[in-house]
Amino acid sequence: MFAITVDIILNSLVLGGIFVIMGVGLNIIYGLNRVMNLAHGALYALGAYFGFSVVAVGGNYFLALLIAPIIVGILGLVIERVLITPMRKRSMIYTLILTYGLMFVIDGLIKFFWGVETRFIHLPEFMQGTVSLGSASYPVFRLVILIGIAAVVAALMLLLGRTRLGINMRAASEIPEMVSACGVNVRGVQISGFVLGCMLAGTAGVLAGPLFTVFPIMGHDMLISSFVVVVIGGLGSLRGAVIAALMIGFVQTLAEFFITEMAMVIVYMLMALILVIKPLGILGEGKFE
Amino acid sequence: MIKLEGIDTYYGTSHVIQNLSLEVDTGEAVSILGRNGVGKTTTMRSIIGLTPPKKGRVLINGTDVRGWPPHKIVHLGLAYVPAERHIFPDLSVEENLILAQGQGGGDGDWSLDKVYEYFPVLGQRRRSGGTKLSGGEQQMLAIGRALMGNPTIMLLDEPSQGLSPILVAKVASIVSDLCSQHGITLLLVEQNFRIALAMAGRHYLMGTKSKLQGEVRSQEIIEDQELIKRTLAV
Ligand SMILES: Nc1ncnc2c1ncn2[C@@H]1O[C@H](COP(=O)(O)OP(=O)(O)OP(=O)(O)O)[C@@H](O)[C@H]1O
Ligand SMILES: [Mg+2]
Repeated sequence: MFAITVDIILNSLVLGGIFVIMGVGLNIIYGLNRVMNLAHGALYALGAYFGFSVVAVGGNYFLALLIAPIIVGILGLVIERVLITPMRKRSMIYTLILTYGLMFVIDGLIKFFWGVETRFIHLPEFMQGTVSLGSASYPVFRLVILIGIAAVVAALMLLLGRTRLGINMRAASEIPEMVSACGVNVRGVQISGFVLGCMLAGTAGVLAGPLFTVFPIMGHDMLISSFVVVVIGGLGSLRGAVIAALMIGFVQTLAEFFITEMAMVIVYMLMALILVIKPLGILGEGKFE
Repeated sequence: MIKLEGIDTYYGTSHVIQNLSLEVDTGEAVSILGRNGVGKTTTMRSIIGLTPPKKGRVLINGTDVRGWPPHKIVHLGLAYVPAERHIFPDLSVEENLILAQGQGGGDGDWSLDKVYEYFPVLGQRRRSGGTKLSGGEQQMLAIGRALMGNPTIMLLDEPSQGLSPILVAKVASIVSDLCSQHGITLLLVEQNFRIALAMAGRHYLMGTKSKLQGEVRSQEIIEDQELIKRTLAV
């Protein structure tokens, strides 16, 4: 019983943590640019593949964690300049369709360059095996990834809470006009937000790669889960996304443990229930906290 | 120095500012008086670049900034305090101030401590969320935030809006003192003409479609209380 409890708690923290990184990334992009990035899952998959390749050419997993998000971030910058900026003055439906198309483009490129077979990110020696926690045991690599997730979330909170860029981002998601009237280049802040969101998707991909294996459409389910997180938490609310991510992580892990086939059904039913009670999500006021 | 030369500003196809010219000298405090909807706020938005004019020249210390993005105009030493204040709701008082720190490009020495010295209540509430403040506190924060940029020119839109008469007088005297002590050029919009008289020495009387009906000194208004009513009722 103790072993199962430890398993469920740690697994739901791992899953919830990945959802936090994905959901917050999606929310930052939305809050600053009013773009619902449907390619977010594809960028997550790309992160995992770049991570796989960094390790495959002789780097180690931690180097992959550093390099893959940067590559995805650069790609995010290109996407912003080429697809998002020209659509700024148009309705959101344009970027919705463009990023939807982009998702399939990225899917295709992944299959073209890496093939369709499942890939495994090779982990360093010390991450193999298990640790014992009292009468329970837990895979070392999962524990290391959990620490990695915690570090990424902490860094993100510091960035948003303590730095000038973070303050600018939070302000620009509320009253962009006033940010520029305070002397800040608000376009720069919006673009940084898009790039940061993409980097977070890439980071989540490298972190998730060893957990769920790496395959071309790995981003599809993750995109849907990120949506669920953002919708439950309240569109634009960062704190809401964190709470929702951890909650969904826990519910999904628990459900998968006992009634695997019904896990996603239960998650969607929970989403529907929350939306009936609170149509704008847990902390949703159309705001960005 | 602000100098508008024949500017035309639109919201979509609605032509709000029509061939407006006015001037505020360095160190001067000038107000625009006018009824609702004549284009006073739009005049300020035209200067700061939020609603750029389609024609004419917007000269800031001699540089034509028409069409510049607002942040670049702010970097020339402008600060804008909108009538709605636009305090960032999810930023703390201190973060609202930090956001604008040093952006105006002037060589003043405004800092968090100095703002708290002028507005002690902001210091006491530095960690509170922006929208948890009362109307008066929000107005002080909006002014404090403008000062953090070390501006040389301040655009102040209806500072009295939503404040009690006592607070209005207090805010007005603080701002007037600040501007004269620090040599800040002030362009003010006010519905409450007593406040405008107290804060500015020269007044533009603006009629519909931003058409200027005249220009008066405070002294003339004090001597002839009906002057404004007569001119603006046209
Ligand atoms: N965003 C907008 N879109 C379209 N029209 C607008 C917009 N903002 C203002 N207007 C119109 O432009 C005109 C001038 O508005 P402005 O806000 O500059 O007036 P004002 O003199 O500041 O009035 P008030 O005393 O009510 O603040 C008004 O007729 C107003 O209805
Ligand atoms: Mg107005």
